Amino acid sequence: MEIIIVLGVIALLVLFVVAQYNRLVRLNITVDEAWAQIEVQLKRRADLIPNLVETVKGYAAHEQSTFDAVVTARAKSTSASTVGEVAAADGALTNALRGLLAVAEAYPDLKASANFLSLQEELSTTENKVSFARQFYNDNVRALNQAVATIPTSFFTGLAKVDARAFYEVENPSDREVPNVKF
Amino acid sequence: MAPSSNFRELESANKGKTYFLLASMGLLTWLIAYAALTYFGAGTTSFIVPLAVGISLVGVWGSYYGSDKLVLTMTGAKVITREDAPELFNVIEEVVIASGLPMPKVAIVEDTAPNAFATGRDPDHALIAFTTRILEVMDRDELQGVIAHEMAHVANRDTLVSAVAATTAGAIAMLSDFMMRMMWFGGGRDRRDSNANPILLVVSLVVMILAPIAAMLLKSAISRKRESLADATAVSFTRNPAGLRKALEVLASDTTVVQQKSNAVAHIWIESPLDGKAVSKLFSTHPPIEERIATLRAMESLGPSN
Repeated sequence: MEIIIVLGVIALLVLFVVAQYNRLVRLNITVDEAWAQIEVQLKRRADLIPNLVETVKGYAAHEQSTFDAVVTARAKSTSASTVGEVAAADGALTNALRGLLAVAEAYPDLKASANFLSLQEELSTTENKVSFARQFYNDNVRALNQAVATIPTSFFTGLAKVDARAFYEVENPSDREVPNVKF
Repeated sequence: MAPSSNFRELESANKGKTYFLLASMGLLTWLIAYAALTYFGAGTTSFIVPLAVGISLVGVWGSYYGSDKLVLTMTGAKVITREDAPELFNVIEEVVIASGLPMPKVAIVEDTAPNAFATGRDPDHALIAFTTRILEVMDRDELQGVIAHEMAHVANRDTLVSAVAATTAGAIAMLSDFMMRMMWFGGGRDRRDSNANPILLVVSLVVMILAPIAAMLLKSAISRKRESLADATAVSFTRNPAGLRKALEVLASDTTVVQQKSNAVAHIWIESPLDGKAVSKLFSTHPPIEERIATLRAMESLGPSN
């Protein structure tokens, strides 16, 4: 009789550990997936940029400084690797693109061109996708970090080799400023 | 009005209410089974209760399992691809990323009323549909709100919830029907053998008569809670209550209703197509649209939430 109780308790304990371990691993994988989604969207945006710059150049060739800013920001964003770097480069590129679109405002022919309109639609949907992917990533990081910090899952972080992850923050000061537009 | 305007609290409150309502459905089923037991005895009850539940289960299960295809034929919706509406797909993809769900199938219903719905047995078989009119009248923000509401139904498994509600309501209605007929045709002979309390017999009779109505009310209440839940979940996806609020205002100001006013699929649309036809607020499948707008407006006043 006692042996059955002891075995039962051991079985329950094992199940408990397995459940905690699996929860941590699952949360960690979700964060990885969410991160991959951000990268997909950032890549898509980076791929749109050369085309966009070329189109704007066709109408506004002398806005060289704006183009340079976009091209530099794009180069930086494609070479970034850690969460913090990617986030900073993403913020800078968003700013540069805002500048480019603000320039486009001054050229009615450009704004009316079908090519520009479709690029603009692609760009704005990609921007939205980037920001939703970021939100989804941060929500999942929050869930993971909560599990890492709270009992009982916090006891098993070593076993599951799972640790708190970094939030994707675009809180760089330049992001708060209104883009500098020269006409 | 909702005591809270934070979408997380609203979500858990609405979920809690759904569980409570589903539990009430269970209780109601138990009550009517008990009524059958006191009235007809164990022999008959152990036969008709499983029969009613079984028939109802088979009937609802088929429509639940094939819901994406069935609703297509019932509403005349046509599945479209990215090439047909690239901008709509862009907005849907945005919400899909925000929700972390797989991409649903997308369909269009030719109709002069602005409306939309979601169906499918699980997120992998989800289908969201829009009337041609809603795509004309809504701007990007509003459309995003509508899509988020539909994807929220997918995320909350509302096809399953309403299938469960429909099964129990169906079983209860059928049970009550069986028993009334049996009483009519002189069933319940074993009643005399049992020394049942006469008060209990009267109560059982009342339960039999009232249970189907109560089940209908519960089913409508569940549907209304799921609509409020979908609004809250939609905001958790987009963090933009204003988009959905403006969309609901557009729907509220529009007086045209979807052509097929079939009761069978009324609950799946974002705005009820049976407006003004419902007997009372208690039987309607959707909360009053003004109430939904007010709740969303309260969320807006909280400012951007993370």
